[in-house]
Amino acid sequence: MKTRFMTRRLKHCACLISTSVLIASVFFSEAVPVSAQQRLSKRYPVGKNIRIELKNISGTITVESWNRDEIRLTATMESPTAHIVPKQLDECLVVDVMADNRGRGDVGDVNFKLQVPVNCSVDLETRRGQINVNNIRGASVRAHVSSEGDIELSNVTASQVIAQNTIGNIFFDGEFSRGGTYEFKSTKGDITVRIPGDSAFRLVAASSARKIAIGPFWNNGFKAIGDGRKYVGDVGDGRSSVSVTTFSGTITFMRR
Amino acid sequence: MNCEKCQELIGDLLDGALSRHDELILNSHLEECLDCDGVRKDLASIVSFCQAHRGEYEAPPNEQALWLRISNVIASEKTQAPANNSATPRRSFLSGLMGRSWELSLPQLSAFAAAIVLVVSLATVVGLRRLETGAPPVSPDGPHTAGAASPSDRVWQQQQVISYWNQRIEVNKARWNPEMRETFDRNMKVIDQAVNESINELNRNPHDEVSEQMLNESLNDKLSLLKEFSDL
Repeated sequence: MKTRFMTRRLKHCACLISTSVLIASVFFSEAVPVSAQQRLSKRYPVGKNIRIELKNISGTITVESWNRDEIRLTATMESPTAHIVPKQLDECLVVDVMADNRGRGDVGDVNFKLQVPVNCSVDLETRRGQINVNNIRGASVRAHVSSEGDIELSNVTASQVIAQNTIGNIFFDGEFSRGGTYEFKSTKGDITVRIPGDSAFRLVAASSARKIAIGPFWNNGFKAIGDGRKYVGDVGDGRSSVSVTTFSGTITFMRR
Repeated sequence: MNCEKCQELIGDLLDGALSRHDELILNSHLEECLDCDGVRKDLASIVSFCQAHRGEYEAPPNEQALWLRISNVIASEKTQAPANNSATPRRSFLSGLMGRSWELSLPQLSAFAAAIVLVVSLATVVGLRRLETGAPPVSPDGPHTAGAASPSDRVWQQQQVISYWNQRIEVNKARWNPEMRETFDRNMKVIDQAVNESINELNRNPHDEVSEQMLNESLNDKLSLLKEFSDL
């Protein structure tokens, strides 16, 4: 009877210990990275026609519009040594991770989320990482990834759009303004442009891979150069200029 | 036709001085090249502005006499220069300087000394800045200034600039994290591949416009990647 009681107590203890170890391991495995990350959240009251300049080193940048005359900047920093000091100069908010961390060594990924007024102009730059811009109707949108990272511009209407990376896909979904200029460029990545069927633009599209699909915007006025590696032509009255270049990817035009 | 040649001929195009054949070639290039088309538009607007405002400025009283005087002065300077060179025996700069008598007032002397101090300090500041920023020995705008050189010449010129930035990258690379180093190497490899493929294509067909465009853009991309990563 005593032996049975001891065995039951031992089993009970073993069960408690293993449960504690399991809980502790789960807790610590989740807790370590979370406690290592820093989070910055700031709000800036601004006018309707604000401009944002963001220079990141590595990490994702997401910009989306909201219905307020203020900017909310949220940054998640992988390294506790990362330092971010946004500067507001008149109608421009400048965030320069590179300058703010000069001489501080490796600061790891910094992921940004910016909520901005819909008429905001954005100038985004990162050495590495993805850039997403959603629902913006500002004067200009520039997304530049020095090396690799996809660029996705959704529901964007601006008179100047520039999207460029080395490795990664570029997706533009928006409208071309009359007299606007649009430039999409990648060395190794697919470029997809999704625009309304009645868009009017002058197109210069080049792909060494000979994979250019102008789709519903094709007309007989298009001129093929270099065995189909480059197409030049007007769609409608050609009132805006569109340049699309990829070395080894595809170019696809789609109707919205 | 390349961009440099095109931009040389745009003036003639606007003046209507080109042959029908050249005009066709030029127009076909302008249709494909937004940059050159922009130059054409700029030049056309300047010309039309000047034409529209012709006669709004006061001309000199006797325009023909003025030009005659200018051409006479130029002609006399041209003839005097070789005559002077042959007539007067050459004096060295140092002997000229030593042979001259120098009489300076105190304010002149102090102004002279101040000027020397200013020049020396400016030269020192500029020199230090160059050392700090590490300005490249050659213009970093390689592909833009490359003009109509052959692809191999252009690549060689570009390599001069690229090797400078490569040196800077090698110095800084040790500070990057392994992921950043891998990313840089991977991207550089992709761009180098694009450069090599374009060169190969141009060697097969030296007049291939698309390969020329791709080569220029790839070289520009390579330079940009090097510059942007050298800041890290």
